Amino acid sequence: MTFLLALGVGVLFGAGAYLLLKPDLFRIVVGIVLIANAANLALLASGLRRGRSPIYPLEGGEPSDPLVQAMAITAIVIGFAVTALLLSLAYRVYASSRTVDLDELSQAEVSRERELEREEVSV
Amino acid sequence: MVFVPLLLTWVAAAALALMDGRRRSVGWLAVGALAAGLAATAVLAGMVLDGGARETVAGDWPPGIGIVLRADALGVVFAVVSGVVLLAALAYEVAAGVSSRLFPAVVLFLATGLTGLFLTADVFSFYVFFELSMIAAYVLAYYGGEARQLGAGFIFAVVNLLGSFLFLLAVAGTYHVTGTLAMETVAQRIAGVEPNTVILIAVGFFVAFGVKLGLFPFHFWLPTVYVSASPSVAAMLSGAVANIGSYGLLRFGAGILPAELRLGAVALIILGTASIVYGAIQAVSRRTAAEVLAYSAVGQAGYVLIALGVGGPVGLAAAVVYSLANALNKALLFLSVELRGWLVGAAFVIGAFSVAGIPPTAGFFGKVELFRAGVAEDSVALVALIFLGGAVSFLYMFQIYQHDFWRGERRGAASPRALRGMAVGLAVVVVTLGLWPEPLLAAGRRAAEVLMGPT
Amino acid sequence: MTSLLVQAVARLSLAPMLVIAAAVLVKGYADVGDGFSAGVIAALAILLQYVTFGRETAERRLPLVRLPAAAFAGLLVALAVALVPVLQGDPPLTHLPAPGAEVTKLGTLELITAVAFDVAVFLLVVGAVVGIIHAVATAEEDAR
Repeated sequence: MTFLLALGVGVLFGAGAYLLLKPDLFRIVVGIVLIANAANLALLASGLRRGRSPIYPLEGGEPSDPLVQAMAITAIVIGFAVTALLLSLAYRVYASSRTVDLDELSQAEVSRERELEREEVSV
Repeated sequence: MVFVPLLLTWVAAAALALMDGRRRSVGWLAVGALAAGLAATAVLAGMVLDGGARETVAGDWPPGIGIVLRADALGVVFAVVSGVVLLAALAYEVAAGVSSRLFPAVVLFLATGLTGLFLTADVFSFYVFFELSMIAAYVLAYYGGEARQLGAGFIFAVVNLLGSFLFLLAVAGTYHVTGTLAMETVAQRIAGVEPNTVILIAVGFFVAFGVKLGLFPFHFWLPTVYVSASPSVAAMLSGAVANIGSYGLLRFGAGILPAELRLGAVALIILGTASIVYGAIQAVSRRTAAEVLAYSAVGQAGYVLIALGVGGPVGLAAAVVYSLANALNKALLFLSVELRGWLVGAAFVIGAFSVAGIPPTAGFFGKVELFRAGVAEDSVALVALIFLGGAVSFLYMFQIYQHDFWRGERRGAASPRALRGMAVGLAVVVVTLGLWPEPLLAAGRRAAEVLMGPT
Repeated sequence: MTSLLVQAVARLSLAPMLVIAAAVLVKGYADVGDGFSAGVIAALAILLQYVTFGRETAERRLPLVRLPAAAFAGLLVALAVALVPVLQGDPPLTHLPAPGAEVTKLGTLELITAVAFDVAVFLLVVGAVVGIIHAVATAEEDAR
């Protein structure tokens, strides 16, 4: 179980890091979401003890540490809020520049700055 | 008592979010709530500095289960200084005219998050308050809503979220190896854990706070955000939100992981030096005032790291005093950078003097403490570096002054009186702390005592 | 516009989804469930209406526009749960009624502070999500 969770955290984090490197706003958001979930999974895994069931023991016996569940739900809620914020932010960027490609965005930025400079010179 | 400042701003934030923040009356209501929160924090600070740390456990749960809020000297001084910065910046923006419905409420949420994280004694509630204040900061970063600010806000949010989740991973690791979340117990138990694991956790914490503070290898988001944000927001980010980084390094580095901090001392000093040199070179080569100030912030963060690397009572006190003085300087400079009028020029000069460490300003005593740390370490190179860094920062500050105030870039009608008043008010605080530094220095010593523990 | 099938599903599933949300909310104290998941279920039900019928129709049918304000009202309720014990001289978030004391019951629902807190969380989540959907939908219309 611990190994599976460790593998899950690793894969999620790796996939998230890969998406973060893409020049696309929405891929970046998804990357952050994956990394957030890697952290949540790591939180859950941090309370596991060998030989104990993680949540609900069917055959009697003690469950693992329940505190990590509380921490994980808190972290999930925070991740949820952050995702909503990032998505709406990405959407506003898209609405104002009509593109989600980072390269195009930075080109638009450069041309805007040039325009500003030209205006300054003409003034 | 510990809960009072927190709940005051929190309730006010939730109530104000229902109203239209663009109305001036709502804005001043927010300023009033923030001032009340700051007053409560100041009273709490007085009690803590006189009579030792205070603690409240939520819901009267037994220790180890309930969420503990604990106000000690280190936490309250950071809370008070951040409160002052937020108050000045919010009042500035309200006087200038707020352009977004939620702005005053978001600033109050930010204040709540900051107070909470400075006063909590629990690693996980630290994360929760940390995220509360960071989410408010992301919203503030794109305040204004122009394409440039939206882009900068997005970068800011993504980079800092990555830092936050690294922090969360480190928290998971801490809980796994110690089985507790209370900072004191963590500090006791982590000393007995296998060192390699702890080093991994320590690196996680360091990277997370390095990103917040804008240290050299993690600084890349900082100039874009500080330059495109409006002056009041830049003041809040550099004067209040950046404090999370220095406070976190002090609390988690010196307070919880002192052995790992000593182990990494040389690395910290090298990174700090790199930060100072890089920030100074970039700042000297920039022309617009906001850019110079942004790169200067990268450099100033380096001094905190050096003081932390020196460690011991002298080094830690220097780190505390320096970060507090630096927070005030940065807020003052960012607030006065776009104003016109002769008094503002004077306020800007005071801020510039304070950054360079020239008396009679708060920054002078920040530098004096750093010098003491350098002397305590018996390192000529360190003292020379601090001196040189101060000289270069004076150079770039003087460049801005020459460019903006002498060459007449900023001639024309003076800015509204209320705005100038805010900048001058902060300048008065900086000078007062320069003329009467005992409270600041005493607070720094007490905070260092807290971190050094009962040993 | 979306297909007839989706419209039918969206129309028929709204009420059951809201009931499930309410069930998850109230049974949280004895069994699996809490305000957050209930809020997410309810918000998903409402989101489905927005996606299927468009903002105008959805908001004409359901009185949703006030919900964003409900988010902050929810936050105020949660803070009140923390604050009321302080006024009585206890630490914040003290559980009322005290452990062992008589509990007022409403059917099988026990009236305790934790219920108030979860209702607050529910309001907060639904309100915030609907607020975001509303804002994005309005921005989309403005951009057009």
